[in-house]
Amino acid sequence: MSAAAPDALDRFGLELGERVNPIVVKEVRQGLRTRTFWIFFALMLLACLVIALVAFAASDGGADKTGFGTFVAVFVALSLVQFFVIPYTAYRSMAREREEETWVLLTLTGLGPRRILAGKIGSFIAQGLLYASAAAPFLLFSYYLNGIDLPTILVAVVIAAGYQIFLVAVGVSVATLAESRIVRALLHFALLGGLFLALTAGISSSVGVAEEMRRLAGDDAFWVAAFSVLFALVTTGLLLFEAAAARLSLPTESYARGPRLLLVVQALGMAGLFALAFVVSHEVEALVIGAGLISLYVAVAGTFFGADRDGMARNHWARAGRFHLLRPGALRGYVLLVLVLAVGVGGLVALAMSRGGVALTDDKLVVMLTAPGLAVLYLSAPNVVARWIPHPPWQTAALVRILFIGLVVFGSGVPPLIGQIVLERPNDDALNALSPVMAMVNASEHGVTPALLLLWGVAVGVAFWTYFVLRARDAETHA
Amino acid sequence: MSLLEVKGLTRFFGGLRAVDDVSFTLEAGTILGFIGPNGAGKSTTMRIIATLDVPTQGEVLLDGKSVVEYPDLARPLIGYMPDRYGTYEDMTVLEFLDFFARAYKLKGKEREQRVQGVMEFAGLVPLKDKLTSELSKGMKQRVALGRTLLHDPKLLILDEPADGLDPRARIELRELLKALAAQGKAVLISSHILTELSEICDACAIIEQGKLLATGPVAEVLSRSAGAAPSSELVVRLFAPAEAVEALGRKAERLLLEQPLVSNVSVDGLTVRFKVELPAGTPPPPAWVDDASARLLKAMLAAELPVCSFQTRQLDLEDAFMNVTKGRVQ
Repeated sequence: MSAAAPDALDRFGLELGERVNPIVVKEVRQGLRTRTFWIFFALMLLACLVIALVAFAASDGGADKTGFGTFVAVFVALSLVQFFVIPYTAYRSMAREREEETWVLLTLTGLGPRRILAGKIGSFIAQGLLYASAAAPFLLFSYYLNGIDLPTILVAVVIAAGYQIFLVAVGVSVATLAESRIVRALLHFALLGGLFLALTAGISSSVGVAEEMRRLAGDDAFWVAAFSVLFALVTTGLLLFEAAAARLSLPTESYARGPRLLLVVQALGMAGLFALAFVVSHEVEALVIGAGLISLYVAVAGTFFGADRDGMARNHWARAGRFHLLRPGALRGYVLLVLVLAVGVGGLVALAMSRGGVALTDDKLVVMLTAPGLAVLYLSAPNVVARWIPHPPWQTAALVRILFIGLVVFGSGVPPLIGQIVLERPNDDALNALSPVMAMVNASEHGVTPALLLLWGVAVGVAFWTYFVLRARDAETHA
Repeated sequence: MSLLEVKGLTRFFGGLRAVDDVSFTLEAGTILGFIGPNGAGKSTTMRIIATLDVPTQGEVLLDGKSVVEYPDLARPLIGYMPDRYGTYEDMTVLEFLDFFARAYKLKGKEREQRVQGVMEFAGLVPLKDKLTSELSKGMKQRVALGRTLLHDPKLLILDEPADGLDPRARIELRELLKALAAQGKAVLISSHILTELSEICDACAIIEQGKLLATGPVAEVLSRSAGAAPSSELVVRLFAPAEAVEALGRKAERLLLEQPLVSNVSVDGLTVRFKVELPAGTPPPPAWVDDASARLLKAMLAAELPVCSFQTRQLDLEDAFMNVTKGRVQ
């Protein structure tokens, strides 16, 4: 080898070091210095070694098929680290940054919240790769023991990699949620529980897919479902990332753009996937479920996007108008949500009527129209109720979210209860017209009734009222 | 044009007016002490200037550009050190500074030189391979100060940098700040330790309940804070055997109270404090305090009082702070 080769390699290393996100360099450096990393690295390696030795001793020269069992055992050992330890460490790292307020210093360097978060996630992916590289020879060893083929190993590893990135994004994002010590403690335990569930779900689904790979590969429905899950994982991971970046952003930054763009992509992407499912299966139910899920998603997302703080920093206000829907502010978030709901569900309804043969009086259409009506009502009403509370410090985004939950619980429980006590009919159409649960049940069972008109009448009224409330709040902020 | 101009800055938190119409300026190469009790609005004002928060009303101009409208242009000009130093405990001093230099997009040789320069300036070279967790509070604070200097900012904003430091570390910090001002950097510093600020600040701004009560060069603020009537405090020490202390104190008190312009006489053992004060509205003649002091000393010696020391006590920022503020918090 010539002397120039190491120089070139050194230069490449230096160049790479200069270009790579500084957070990655810092986090990897810090990560490799922790006891946690080396303890789990050693434990995983030891487990893989023991598994391989046991499998080798149990195999009889390749005639049996111990490969699949070996693969599953090694995969579980690797998953414990990838799906639990690494996302949890990512959470701790980000939480410490928040607790010690070092993220403020990072933001001031001009790195920006997205690069900080991307660096965090990137560094934990890099640490995951180190673990995976140690386990890779053992996964390959399982192939030589027969019982599993290379494409199946590859598919399981790709799913696991995607899932690990998603869980790291969840960990980092959760760490940005906590402002107070109590909330931090609660989130800590919730995350531990959530990661435990995610670990079992990740292992069982990856192993399940590996087991059934050959049988499912020829089924179109499997691929639509797989693509939908992948879409949900990727877009939700990105949404969590953008939401975390928005939370870490300074008021002077355009924090709303990323999350709102992803909201649009997710809602309209969901509509597209359900439309695709309808085209593949010719089942109108796919469109009905799609309309319901999009409505539910927009209503829940509304508690975050429609409950944003009012107004926007002067630097944005100067460069954008009041109706730049990707700019900060509850007013713009709310209008965007309503538009997304109209386009997403409207498209599915149009498809159901034009290609699915659904008539105006069909029960399915009533369900498709009831769901968005309820969504509009419940994402609007909390803003109106919050406005009645006179003391300004109480009119916060958190209050709007609490009111959303309160109204949904009230709307779900009280009308059926009154129906039962007064009319002895808990499912009365008129009484339950605004009830988020009973209105949907009634729509699927009773078809077209005046309740649908009542629901839409109230929903449109409250929507306009909300628009004026939010507009007034926006104007007050910029007065 | 001043490097920093704060104009009518106001910040509400809900119904609370945390900063109320605050205006001041800061020139390059000067140190401005930002003084006020806890909760007065110092940190909020500093955070707004550092682009970490936005004002409800008002403007902050840095080098002629609004930090509210152009935060991205302002940040490279600002070095901000919050009251928590924010050092990563599991990194060495060199790694810590190198990381922030990378974050400030400094590359290759330039980064190495800048980190080395900052370490030399802050006296960190012997500690470069030590973990920051192993450093004393004073040293951690130097590391944090070094971090704020990496990108060579024009304005340094230091929020309570002397808090919790031992006397040696405080003196060292003072010297570092003086050196930075001599390099042409503007320094905005808040502190509770007013004697520290007295010695290094060229100008000061006193804030209470969000309102700016006084601002300007230190001497100007001191003379204004002394009130409408020009006055000065004097301290006299007597010498006498123990059995004569009380009698001597009474004699000195009687004598001083008979003299014109003298008031607020207090005797504590052999130490006598009193005030010489011109009537309110009287324009102070040149060197009137020296004249009055000479006359009073002569009178005391004539009365055979054993004076061993006779001093005019200078007003400092602590006096100005106590005179101007009312001790209110919000």
